[in-house]
Amino acid sequence: MSTEKKVPVTILTGFLGSGKTTLLNRILSEEHGKRIAVIENEYGEVGIDQGLVINADEEVFEMSNGCICCTVRGDLIRVLGNLMKRRDKFDYVLVETTGLADPGPVAQTFFMDDEIRDEFSLDGIVTLVDAAHIDQQLGRSDESSEQVAFADVLVLNKTDLVSDESLDILESRLRDMNRMARVVRSKQADVSIDTVLNLSAFDLDQVLKRRPTFLEPEYPFEWTGVFSLERGRYELSLEEGPDPTMSLVAMEDQGINEVALNDGAESCVRLYADSAELLHPGSTVPIGKHVSLQLQSNGRKSFFLELDHATQIGLFTQHTAEEFDIKVSTVDSSITENDGKNDSMVKPATERTWVAEHEHDDEVGSIAIERVGDVDPEKLNKWLSRLLAEKGVDIFRTKGFISYAGDSRRIVFQGVHMLFTAQPDKEWGSEPRRNQLVFIGRNLDEKEMTKEFEKCLV
Amino acid sequence: MSRIEAFTPKGMLHKGWSAQVEDYAISCGWVLQGKAFLVGDSAGGIYSFEGKSGDVIWKKKEVHKGGLLAMSIHPEGKSFATAGQDGRVLIWDSKEGELSKVLDLGKGWAEQIKWSPNGQFLAVTLSRYVYVFCANGQEQWRSDQHPSTVSAIAWSNSNELATACYGRVTFFDVVTNKVNQKLEWQGSLVSMVLSPNGDIVVCGSQDNSVHFWRRSTNQDSEMTGYPGKPSQLAFDQSGTVLATGGSEIVTVWSFQGDGPEGTVPGRLTLHADFISSLAFSHSGMLLASAARDGSVFAWFLNNNGQGDPVGGAFVGELVSQVAWRPDDCALAAVNAKGGITVWDFKVRTKGFA
Repeated sequence: MSTEKKVPVTILTGFLGSGKTTLLNRILSEEHGKRIAVIENEYGEVGIDQGLVINADEEVFEMSNGCICCTVRGDLIRVLGNLMKRRDKFDYVLVETTGLADPGPVAQTFFMDDEIRDEFSLDGIVTLVDAAHIDQQLGRSDESSEQVAFADVLVLNKTDLVSDESLDILESRLRDMNRMARVVRSKQADVSIDTVLNLSAFDLDQVLKRRPTFLEPEYPFEWTGVFSLERGRYELSLEEGPDPTMSLVAMEDQGINEVALNDGAESCVRLYADSAELLHPGSTVPIGKHVSLQLQSNGRKSFFLELDHATQIGLFTQHTAEEFDIKVSTVDSSITENDGKNDSMVKPATERTWVAEHEHDDEVGSIAIERVGDVDPEKLNKWLSRLLAEKGVDIFRTKGFISYAGDSRRIVFQGVHMLFTAQPDKEWGSEPRRNQLVFIGRNLDEKEMTKEFEKCLV
Repeated sequence: MSRIEAFTPKGMLHKGWSAQVEDYAISCGWVLQGKAFLVGDSAGGIYSFEGKSGDVIWKKKEVHKGGLLAMSIHPEGKSFATAGQDGRVLIWDSKEGELSKVLDLGKGWAEQIKWSPNGQFLAVTLSRYVYVFCANGQEQWRSDQHPSTVSAIAWSNSNELATACYGRVTFFDVVTNKVNQKLEWQGSLVSMVLSPNGDIVVCGSQDNSVHFWRRSTNQDSEMTGYPGKPSQLAFDQSGTVLATGGSEIVTVWSFQGDGPEGTVPGRLTLHADFISSLAFSHSGMLLASAARDGSVFAWFLNNNGQGDPVGGAFVGELVSQVAWRPDDCALAAVNAKGGITVWDFKVRTKGFA
């Protein structure tokens, strides 16, 4: 009887020309120690230089019951079924799908087929995105957005062909569509192998161990600028932007490294929860308070900062600096009458754009529900069963953990379309009991789903 | 899944001989009236063992680059054919292990291979195509492209070949090049067996069901509720009962009377894990079943599909195939670790061991 470990399988998806074969060759050339079997659905112009390469035409098998979650990939079952008889010859499998492949059946194959399930584990889905073309592809084809939605890792490739600004916009679009995935950028698929192999992305235990909260937090602010300022008076000037008001918190002693920025952001979330004080132009901005800048009048508007000692001020603003053209300048007391004009603008020591809560433009998107407390297992089960039965076709992936009332252990769950597993995980211990769920799918109703989930809370 | 504890051969199975091949034993069979036993392994090795002692008569290494996928023994037992990942078919002489023909089908896996009942033709699949060769290696017939990879083939008579793929079973006359019948059903057919008279076509399906058609009446039925996919299917020589895998229980359907529709199947429960191979004896109602847990049992079946165990043994590894010797007086099992075990099959004269 075999008790050997299951062989991990990584799926590489992405449109033709996104760099799948380049990444594949990179992995094969760098992973000397590993014996990797490659199943190739797409025969591109770039050859694969390695021993164990199996070409197989993609064969999508729907079942007679018409159930979408029973749809599997016949070619993978056949090829993996034969490969497992030679498992001493390799210890990793890479599958390169065609550009138009639907990742659903690929993932489902590893859950639906009893023999494949016994021998192989789906390690992760890596989707390559051609930074220069994905915008059009997302607009044109369902496959493209589904490949983004299913991904555990999104490799934003060919970044050298696109401006940094469009990359940021693209990245935030992709994050909106799939909040579970890690996004990495590359020029010629030159990503570190660790970011694409051995992810155990379908082993939720592992995912949670690595990233205790795997959700990228969404903040009520989009931008932070940190300014090193001497003692004195400063002008904060803004143009009219898309909204008549904008929320802001100014933090003292704000560090500029990643940890300090995250700490500042978290403190700010609490301040943002307080109701904002409305500030008219000309007012002084208080430190460490949630304010709402009134920006309704025409022209550039000025607010002031008064500092009695040198410090680093972090401005956490509801919108990005660009949208309102935010500028910080020193106000020299000797030239205050210089009708507001001065050329002593202070450049920020660092800037950071955050993933913001906002509307999702794409049909495909992620919904995250995070609530403290316990849920009633029966109610939750009822709701999820109904939800997946009704919307399973449109829900691509589900991941999360829940706190069942009366259970000392955390329940981790995950699903692909209607297939769904929930398993007890570690003890809660002294950790505060809470629930975190992510759904990725098409046309999901966040309000409705959140409301329904809240009904399941005890 | 519960695990089985090792046990010594019981009942009518008596210790015979054992041997070892290099890799996962994929296929096996008796040749030369049971005087020799052939095994093909996944590394492309083929071996001939002396039927009584288990001594190696001859062996060949890596006959298929990339690995061997299938083996078929000629009905007369004097020759056999192998197919592999190199897209080639090799025809061998059983006695000396001499290669007599090399047929190169091209790029792809040659996955299924079957001699016709009278040994005149050899059918081979290569992805979506099926080729039929004469015993001398000449190509007799070639199919058009199937809608998906051909997953199983079976001869219904000396000239008629059935092919199964996603969505359908097709019957071809390989001499007149005609499609005799097409049976369609939306499902991924993973295995196929025909009743000995060729009337009943049975397919195991990816959606954990068994589908069958009666060719003469066009009546078809579906047996659902299997926990796994029923890849293992076997008819007894009279065509009365059909044994199926797809779970740790052997489910036996009886075609007596109006059955099996509306009848309760026999359920043979002793294995602790999913069935991996089924084989009926050459005469009578003896069934050998083997499982992923390494257990092997022999059963005596009634016409209604119910049965009782008459012997059992344990080999410790997933059993890839079981094969009765032509005289049904020995049973062989080959496994995933390359282990070969052969038991004598006879009534115990002294009580159980």
